[in-house]
Amino acid sequence: MGDFFYGLTDWLRTTFLLDWAFWIETTGFNQVLVTNFWGVPLAQVMHIIGIGAAFAATLMLTLRISNLAGGARTVPEVSSRYMPWIWWGLVWIVVSGLLMLWAEPVRNMINGVFWMKMLLLVVTVLITLAFQGAVRKSATASGPAWTASSGVKVTGWLIVILWCLIMAHGRWIAYAPV
Amino acid sequence: MASYYPEPTNIWESIEYSSLGTSIAESLWAFPTLETLHVIALVTVFGTIMIMDLRLLGLAGNKWAVTQMSKDTLPWTWGAFVLAAITGTLLFTSKASTYMVNPYFLIKLGLLALAGLNMLYFHFVTYKTVTDWDAAPTLPTGAKVAATVSLVAWIGVVFCGRAIGFTLGIYY
Repeated sequence: MGDFFYGLTDWLRTTFLLDWAFWIETTGFNQVLVTNFWGVPLAQVMHIIGIGAAFAATLMLTLRISNLAGGARTVPEVSSRYMPWIWWGLVWIVVSGLLMLWAEPVRNMINGVFWMKMLLLVVTVLITLAFQGAVRKSATASGPAWTASSGVKVTGWLIVILWCLIMAHGRWIAYAPV
Repeated sequence: MASYYPEPTNIWESIEYSSLGTSIAESLWAFPTLETLHVIALVTVFGTIMIMDLRLLGLAGNKWAVTQMSKDTLPWTWGAFVLAAITGTLLFTSKASTYMVNPYFLIKLGLLALAGLNMLYFHFVTYKTVTDWDAAPTLPTGAKVAATVSLVAWIGVVFCGRAIGFTLGIYY
């Protein structure tokens, strides 16, 4: 796997992304972020807090669908508590992530692990959109007696696992050869 | 087996130069892997605590009874906390003496203690009257103070955790 990421990073270095990353480093906002010692750490703290909000919301919703927690309330009630936190949390995560990207463009964009993380993020968002739409439709149609099929439960846990993989890639960006 | 490490002069160096500490420090994958598990655990701890704190503050999930919300989130908070504590201790062993002179590490331990004491006070004092306000949308001041202290302490823990990584070469 190390070889795969090494090759991917080597290839990224030959693309337009390198010039793009160098251009970001000439912008004033990049300078603001890198000349302030706390710029990058604070963006990372924001990122982690957003992940906490969105991931815990995803986890609690999945637990409810799997009948492992929150059984005192219906799935639509639990969804209405957690879904805004998943999506607004994601917006917060993207904004803080852009701050980190802008501060360290080469470290991120010329990095195979970063792009694998982005791919996983897009896949997770698409699966989550389809999943939430399907669950809402079937739960609304069946009323309060609705229970999740095993396919729905498995998809819910797949999303939780994808989040963990995204976090793992996030941590390993720092250890990938650039 | 020949040791390439100097004789320890204090307990923190003894931990750092132990076979466990040096194995983690020398491994290419152990430290990042432990960090990854630490991150997954701590976002679960922080996220589930925030759900409870927002309920206590009357900002989200107010239709939930407080006792019910606590029953739903707390097992996951504790499970994830145990994982964070184990992985955190293992990370610590690999650089024990470096961490012990880092002010952010020491502040982080202090904030964890504050969060723990806040939780104990809430559980054993404020929570005694929970039956009076379990389903109320607005909760007594004691509960709101506990939630605020909790949020501030845990955000501080996250900040210090990140600050440690950026200041390791500065103090030692």
